[in-house]
Amino acid sequence: MSDINDHSGPPNDDLLAAEYVLGVLAQAERLAVERRVAREPAFADLVVSWEARLLPWADDIAAVAPPRDVWERIAATLPVRTVRTAEKPNGMAFWRGWAIGSSALAAASLAALLFVLSNPAPRPLTAALDGGGHRHFVATLDPQRAQMLVMPAAFAATAERVPELWLIAPGDKPRSLGLLNAERAVSIAIPANLRTQANAQAVLAVSLEPPGGSKTGAPTGPVIAQGKLTNL
Amino acid sequence: MDLDANRSLLVTAIAQTAAGDRAALQTVYRLTSAKLFGVCLRILSDRAESEDVLQEVYLTVWNKAGVFDPGRASPMSWLIAIARNKAIDRLRAGRIGRRMDPIDAATEVPDAAPSAETVLQSGEENRRLHACLAGLERREQAALRGAFFDGNTYEDLAQRMGVPLGTMKSWIRRAMQKLKACLER
Repeated sequence: MSDINDHSGPPNDDLLAAEYVLGVLAQAERLAVERRVAREPAFADLVVSWEARLLPWADDIAAVAPPRDVWERIAATLPVRTVRTAEKPNGMAFWRGWAIGSSALAAASLAALLFVLSNPAPRPLTAALDGGGHRHFVATLDPQRAQMLVMPAAFAATAERVPELWLIAPGDKPRSLGLLNAERAVSIAIPANLRTQANAQAVLAVSLEPPGGSKTGAPTGPVIAQGKLTNL
Repeated sequence: MDLDANRSLLVTAIAQTAAGDRAALQTVYRLTSAKLFGVCLRILSDRAESEDVLQEVYLTVWNKAGVFDPGRASPMSWLIAIARNKAIDRLRAGRIGRRMDPIDAATEVPDAAPSAETVLQSGEENRRLHACLAGLERREQAALRGAFFDGNTYEDLAQRMGVPLGTMKSWIRRAMQKLKACLER
């Protein structure tokens, strides 16, 4: 913005992102912005930054419960979806299994679907792995398949040390579940001897270990995050 | 509700939604539908249209859950952006009337703090935003409010406030730059 007093010409990218998030653009301009968001990561970042600035204003808007049948309308129209494995290429076998199940569900009648939803399999467990005021990872455990998915949140990687995940059952010592990744979700098969301990009484912890993980079978580095497994 | 616990539940439920878990989408819906319905209603002022848009919003969540990145945006911010964009698309489609009553910045109440009913769910970021909005000129505040809460375009706002289009663009762009500078202080 070279001339601070003239704001009526074409805006720069940051102002264009601001106008889009504020909601002041006509529809043709909105669609043009959305095409750029889809193609230009740097421009998409500007939009996300403006959303972080402006959307807290929506706290001023009172919540209003929608009519009950809206959820039923949504559930009835959920399309059958092909599973997207390209976006998260690693360790997704667990999710793929679930998604195949859901495609089968979608093919069933609505009545059957509602029956299935009201009689769910054992609910997943989740743990938010926090430490030092930050959320480092979020873990989700599918007890039926003994599979855990651990997603990085605000974990910052270092070259020297790697994050290792530990399961701690009440009265037991930490048992390693394997190494985590700062960049992507990691899918972990819970070893057969630990499956009964991976329940809502257990705690997950993350320690920083040398590359390759702890050589001693116990955490050797600092524990940077932990969280209790809870039923979702 | 504990906002942090809510956030972690939402992050997990959105990840499971990405994997095709309908029950997880229902969890997202239970945690957020009242807020998002309020957002749609505020822009559209029409219950039937807002219900339709809400349905579109959760279908979009179902389809796009895989691209949500909890390291980049808060789950509520991501969801509110989807709801606002769908509601504005609907408003621009022009089947329902948009708010066009005149705005007189001189008599407008300056940007108010949130009402008593919403103050409990307002976070620190909302308070900072209000502090910065309060530092803008009244006409700038009024124009931003008309855009954010009524979904007005530049043309709508120029008409409602009785100024040329170029003037309205100047007001809003300058106000957004001041807001950004204040929030980054």
